[in-house]
Amino acid sequence: MTQETVHAVTPLVRVQDLSVRFAGTPPVHAVNNVSFDLAPGEVLGILGESGSGKSVTLKTLLRLLPERKTKITGRVEVDGNDVLSLQGRALADHRGGVASMIFQDPALALDPVYTVGQQIAETVMRHEAISKSDAMTRALEMLELVRIPSAKRRLENYPHEMSGGMRQRAMIALALACRPKLLLADEPTTALDATVQIQILLLLRELQQEMGMGVIFVTHDIGVAVEVSDRLAVMYAGSFVETGSVRDVIRDARHPYSKGLLAANLVGAVPGTRLDAVPGAPPPLNALPEGCSFAPRCAHAEAACHASPLPVWTGADGRWARCVQASRTETLAKAEGQR
Amino acid sequence: MSTPILSAHSLVKHFNAGGFGAARKVVRAVDDVSFELAPGETLGVVGESGCGKSTTARLLVQLLTPDSGSVRYEGKMVGPELPLKSFRSKVQMVFQDSFASLNPRMTMIDAVAFGPMVHGVSRAEAMRKAQDLLDRVGLDPTRFGGRYAHELSGGQRQRVNIARALAFDPRVIVLDEAVSALDKSVEAQVLNLLMDLRRERGLTYVFISHDLNVVRHISDRVMVMYLGEVAEIGPAESLYSAPRHPYTEALLAAMPSLDPDRRTMEAPLAGDPPNPIDPPPGCRFHTRCAHAFGPCSAQVPVSHRVGTGHVAACHLNAKTEEVA
Repeated sequence: MTQETVHAVTPLVRVQDLSVRFAGTPPVHAVNNVSFDLAPGEVLGILGESGSGKSVTLKTLLRLLPERKTKITGRVEVDGNDVLSLQGRALADHRGGVASMIFQDPALALDPVYTVGQQIAETVMRHEAISKSDAMTRALEMLELVRIPSAKRRLENYPHEMSGGMRQRAMIALALACRPKLLLADEPTTALDATVQIQILLLLRELQQEMGMGVIFVTHDIGVAVEVSDRLAVMYAGSFVETGSVRDVIRDARHPYSKGLLAANLVGAVPGTRLDAVPGAPPPLNALPEGCSFAPRCAHAEAACHASPLPVWTGADGRWARCVQASRTETLAKAEGQR
Repeated sequence: MSTPILSAHSLVKHFNAGGFGAARKVVRAVDDVSFELAPGETLGVVGESGCGKSTTARLLVQLLTPDSGSVRYEGKMVGPELPLKSFRSKVQMVFQDSFASLNPRMTMIDAVAFGPMVHGVSRAEAMRKAQDLLDRVGLDPTRFGGRYAHELSGGQRQRVNIARALAFDPRVIVLDEAVSALDKSVEAQVLNLLMDLRRERGLTYVFISHDLNVVRHISDRVMVMYLGEVAEIGPAESLYSAPRHPYTEALLAAMPSLDPDRRTMEAPLAGDPPNPIDPPPGCRFHTRCAHAFGPCSAQVPVSHRVGTGHVAACHLNAKTEEVA
């Protein structure tokens, strides 16, 4: 790589043309030509419904997908490493050392037969040459960092002895134990109660700022995404359909699917009135339509929507939306952006 | 309020959680819950997991027998004064898990027609009605009628469950997290369907959900539950704009703001909800409440009227009333 003199900040994550296919007849097109950059210390929210490919995209960054059944094409770079070609020790160093992940269900993600302290210490010892007692000290520091009350006692707890919110804190402690540069969060608050969810979101936001790590936060909940993200990417049927700063996407969504999602989240809805609901359901991923995958559900669909490649509307600050209708408003949007 | 169509009177339900004699543990799932439903209104029920909202729903439709207390339909006590069978045809329920609530060996049209047939409607008549209902909930009976539950998407299955609930021409439907498992875009479609049906048929809903946005959208009145008790109940507008129980306030403050410039800066509550096996004495919320004072840890707060049809069980309201 010859990029000694880069004018902008070198991205922490660079994903180019990523496609993921799962074996099957016909194969499942889980992720289709996804490209994005993540700057160091930036938080990207990926918003999508079940089956939109958001979790698969995230798992690709850690190479967690079953090798034999998955065909990955494109390029994934994290902190200068070509993730798709990592093997053996290098891959193990990447997982947990450079990039680390927290999952939706900490009860499943944590090992039930080891104490929380043992699990954190084990991870630290695998990545850093330190003694077991030092690793335990680090584990204690981590539990304190995620604000688990009486951390010393909790170190000895098994996951089942903790409440849901506490377990999620423990998993965050585990993920951050080796100070990764990239944290991948896969719906980490979905299983939690509302008053606990906001605590975890605030904790993540705080730790992200303290440690300066990049975060990719996958969620189906717009409200959650807005609380934590700098930038937002809306995903539908395996593709990014729109990205931009949180503010821009929330205030001025350009893709009809993003608009539909906002309406479904009752943004600005008058109580008791009918919602502007998107009809139908997402297409099966093993039989995606030609052109725009959203066209069959879109009220504004026209002939041009069923042809590839689709035009892309671009705005200021790296905003874009892949939509025929949005692309026509280009000149108007530019004029608005200059004001 | 005119005669309530459905009312709960001091419902209590405790579950055994193991242990014998003195060590016997009890989950106090629902403790002295009372409320009334006016015909045609929608009552939203909110609260965190373990607050007893689903148990309340099951007590309300008599899927569970209360330890004490009663349910009345149009003033008649269910059981002694109103046989269960005729009560069930008036009050129906839709559950969260659309798959688990359908018989995997029954086609969708049979699932909808089954109930009325059990109640003595002829097969031909029940089938005809089932076709109409499937059509009404947006599923073409010729395409979907012969399918099994696994051949439908989550949204379609929930439509079938709604059609099945409608098969008796009920007056009340209890919706227990009926849209929670659906994707947002599908959830909006089902919410629209529920609102249309409510208007067409003059239905009364009990709408249970953890999603405060959705509850606000669909409900006329809202009931907030905490650890098996009613914390606050009142008109949706005033409860959301001027909550009178600190727990309601905290729940509202915990909602993500949806405005990147006004992000939540402080968590309204610390820690998880306490275990309903051993709820705190006095006001069950006092261990997490920022306003807790003297009587909160000792006395169970009584319900205070704080506005028109608006009641909150909090000692703070007693204080203001006494001062005033």
